[in-house]
Amino acid sequence: MSEILLNNQVIVYLVSESILFVLMLIALLPTIKIVIKWKFYSFSQEQFALEKRAYLVATIVDFIFVVKFFLLIYFVFTIDALSILVPGAMCAAGVVSANDYGMPLLFFKLLILFVMLLWMTLHRYDLEAKEYPFMRYKSWLFIAIFVLVVVEMLLEIGYFTHIDTRRVVSCCSALFGQLEGANPLPFGLDMLKMIIRFYLLYFVNIVALIARYRALTMTSSILFLIISYYSVVYFFGTYVYELPTHKCPFCMMQKEYYFIGYLVWGSLFGGVSISLVWAIMGSLFGIDKSIYRNISVLFISIFVLICTSYVVVYYFRNGVFL
Amino acid sequence: MRSSPFLYFFTLQFFREYKNHLATTVISIALIFLLSAVLFISSSIKYSIDISLGAQADFVVERVRGGKKVDLPIEWIDTLLETRGVQKVTTRVHGRYFFEDKREWALIVGIDFMDEQSNRALEKLVESVDLEKFLFSSNMLVGDGVQRYLKEHFYPKGYNFLTPDGKYKKVSIFGTIPNSLNLMSNNMIIMPQELAKEILGIKKSMVTDLTLNVPNDNLWDSISDKIASLYYDIRVLTKREMQKAYENMYNYKSGVFLMLFLITMATFVLILYQRYSMVFSSQRRNIGLLRAVGWSIRDILKLKLYESLMVVLVSYVIGVSLAYLYVFVFDSPVLIDMFLGGENLDHKIKLIPVVDFGVLSSIFLIYTVAFIASVLIPTWSIAVTDPKEAML
Amino acid sequence: MITIEALQRYFDGGDERFYALKDIDLHIGRGECVVLKGVSGSGKTTLLGIIGGLDKPSSGKVMVDGEPISKLPDLHLSNFRAQKIGIIFQHYNLMDHLTSRENILVPLIPVANDMHRVEEMTDAAMKLASISHKADMQTSRLSGGEKQRVAIARAVVSDPDIILCDEPTANLDRENSLKFIESIQMLHQLGKTVVIATHDPLFDDLPFKSRVVHLEDGRLV
Ligand SMILES: Nc1ncnc2c1ncn2[C@@H]1O[C@H](COP(=O)(O)OP(=O)(O)OP(=O)(O)O)[C@@H](O)[C@H]1O
Ligand SMILES: [Mg+2]
Repeated sequence: MSEILLNNQVIVYLVSESILFVLMLIALLPTIKIVIKWKFYSFSQEQFALEKRAYLVATIVDFIFVVKFFLLIYFVFTIDALSILVPGAMCAAGVVSANDYGMPLLFFKLLILFVMLLWMTLHRYDLEAKEYPFMRYKSWLFIAIFVLVVVEMLLEIGYFTHIDTRRVVSCCSALFGQLEGANPLPFGLDMLKMIIRFYLLYFVNIVALIARYRALTMTSSILFLIISYYSVVYFFGTYVYELPTHKCPFCMMQKEYYFIGYLVWGSLFGGVSISLVWAIMGSLFGIDKSIYRNISVLFISIFVLICTSYVVVYYFRNGVFL
Repeated sequence: MRSSPFLYFFTLQFFREYKNHLATTVISIALIFLLSAVLFISSSIKYSIDISLGAQADFVVERVRGGKKVDLPIEWIDTLLETRGVQKVTTRVHGRYFFEDKREWALIVGIDFMDEQSNRALEKLVESVDLEKFLFSSNMLVGDGVQRYLKEHFYPKGYNFLTPDGKYKKVSIFGTIPNSLNLMSNNMIIMPQELAKEILGIKKSMVTDLTLNVPNDNLWDSISDKIASLYYDIRVLTKREMQKAYENMYNYKSGVFLMLFLITMATFVLILYQRYSMVFSSQRRNIGLLRAVGWSIRDILKLKLYESLMVVLVSYVIGVSLAYLYVFVFDSPVLIDMFLGGENLDHKIKLIPVVDFGVLSSIFLIYTVAFIASVLIPTWSIAVTDPKEAML
Repeated sequence: MITIEALQRYFDGGDERFYALKDIDLHIGRGECVVLKGVSGSGKTTLLGIIGGLDKPSSGKVMVDGEPISKLPDLHLSNFRAQKIGIIFQHYNLMDHLTSRENILVPLIPVANDMHRVEEMTDAAMKLASISHKADMQTSRLSGGEKQRVAIARAVVSDPDIILCDEPTANLDRENSLKFIESIQMLHQLGKTVVIATHDPLFDDLPFKSRVVHLEDGRLV
């Protein structure tokens, strides 16, 4: 057996994911039945039984969402711990890129959490309305989640069985370090332009949320997410590490940096996905609750505040920028 | 703060009916205790190994012939020092010495007391010894385990080692090795290199192996390759490889326990499923009543899931705390032997208390997920009880 | 207040369909007291269950306060039960491991969000049913009459508009039964709509205005 699969944390992680997968399968059956047989105005026993089964699906989805959220943190924590077994890896960045499955896997995890958040929002309003208006949408969405989870599971197996503990991987310095001449920043921006866009998009996003411009919220959130990713990796991160050459999205999740990375990425992904959920719910189903906008504004602002304060504190301590 | 009616009722219900949860809580505590004890031991050992490895030289150079490790000539030092980037090559002499009964053994380590030590712990040890006296006659420093063994066999002051040439060599005990390096030094004997060579039967021009440092981490891989090509029978071990080897060994050991635990857990999940189905169906009437007086399915789900969560939390806290006491305060009788194997002279080892976040979160995660997942369906099926059941 | 149209409730057992309620049309006005009479098995409990939102009809329409309740999703139906309906069950149906007070506050838990309010309402209900002196006694140790009064207090604790009673005097002696009728009278005077399912002749001529409705084999006669 490979050394990676012997690691206790990997075992715990994979077993937990498998349990969730089994629960997912258990919830799939009633969901398919609902898609086929749901007739709200029928008085048949079958319909009443389906209404009860829908609660089973909802309970399972809620549980899976909570566990998957913690499993994502645990996953990052685990691959960080694996860096001792993978030659050349100093942090999770090296381990994630140990094969071609790592990055897509991470992406799928975020995507699944996002879609589940959509599902749960839809479900909340479905319960509050008087005739389960979203039951079918919810069921189709669940089937979509199921497909995503199957893909995630395959990626997971591919990922953990294909980490070669003898091949030297490149780590953050090589993965994110600037190559001569090549510009790693998106849309051909330079650093200053990107940081200006970062704050500009933040401002636009907040205004769009407060003024309830759905389309604007959607576009600005997505752009903000992209710009923020690059800004953190190539600019704000260097202030976290206090080293202009250290460019890595993962190292900041280590103990040396007080696990600040979890807060940084958590508030960014949380804020952006909640604002997207608000915009999507509004434009597709006419659901509009201000709590979503408020939480989203709060999260995104926390994110920007943390990033900014690293730069400001560094400047006040050292009198210069990096 | 306004107290929530729901929490009030939950607490009331939970403590009035704690008997329903007693059995599952006790079994949970036992399972969590076992798993955490094992993981605590393994992470503590890993930690002490990390510390002692951290204090050691970056590379060890050995000579291997026919797959067996053999002594190597001292001249290798000069060749090694010619390689760029290599610093501080030191010689090491060590080997196992089997006592008369041929069953117990000690690790004899010969060091050059006048030279700089490659290992920080040894350096400290040498500093604490009065060298003039120590080197004046045949003296040794012994680990705790060795001292106890010798005392039990009526050699409180010294020991007559039998050298391979059939001669007896009398060496007195000068002192004991301080406990700070307990795990590694328990069955160790430290003496001057010349003396160690005599007892272990190593030729004067030979040593057991060499250690060397490479200050620049980035050069490790290339230097390792370069040295390996110097002689056909040379073998180079890096500190990182050793760390990995230990990591894997203890991962393997605790992995076996974890697998056993998971199998037990799988059985437990089935028991839980049945048990909660039973407990809940005995509460069917009461739940029907709650439903009849206005509790929704969601309210019942919440109440019952909180109960399970409470059981998990209570058993987790108690189980982990008991394991901590057992391992770090009572030195984990029985379990530790399984871990270290019977190789050491004496296993009375004081584990350094390490509470690793990874270990704690792993235990919590696997336990909570398995527990809640197995009660999810019984919980749902009781929550959708028809309110009309209360009228029958 | 309560309007029932073309209500049917049947159970499919094997290849036969058993009608517990058939073609029921009934209107009960606000503040009215209706006594449902009928032999055992005539469908009284089933009808009460449907009026209280505890059971669902097989077909037909049930409106309470102008709102159709027969097809409400669980969350709303439960809320309806909690806010609008108080039930006194045939066998009291108290939770034995709890005290009187704790039993009485159970219906408030999912709807109230402040423990102070819960305590106030519980105290008021206990006073109304004159059971305050046994507030902290385990209900398993109460006498039959006392249990009945706890059940009354629980039925009125959330100040519902409609009180449903299923065989309220089946397990009581004459004296306690008369006391119970007094309590019902009081509730009637408070303006509650009361529906009582019983075959106790004591309810034939109540000391206040009431209407008797006969059920026979699931049909109104
Ligand atoms: N779940 C069920 N399945 C099949 N039949 C049922 C079910 N519930 C009730 N019934 C039948 O419906 C009929 C009416 O029952 P109900 O409990 O309403 O009678 P009742 O008038 O309250 O009688 P009692 O005075 O004895 O309480 C009975 O014949 C009963 O057997
Ligand atoms: Mg009845």
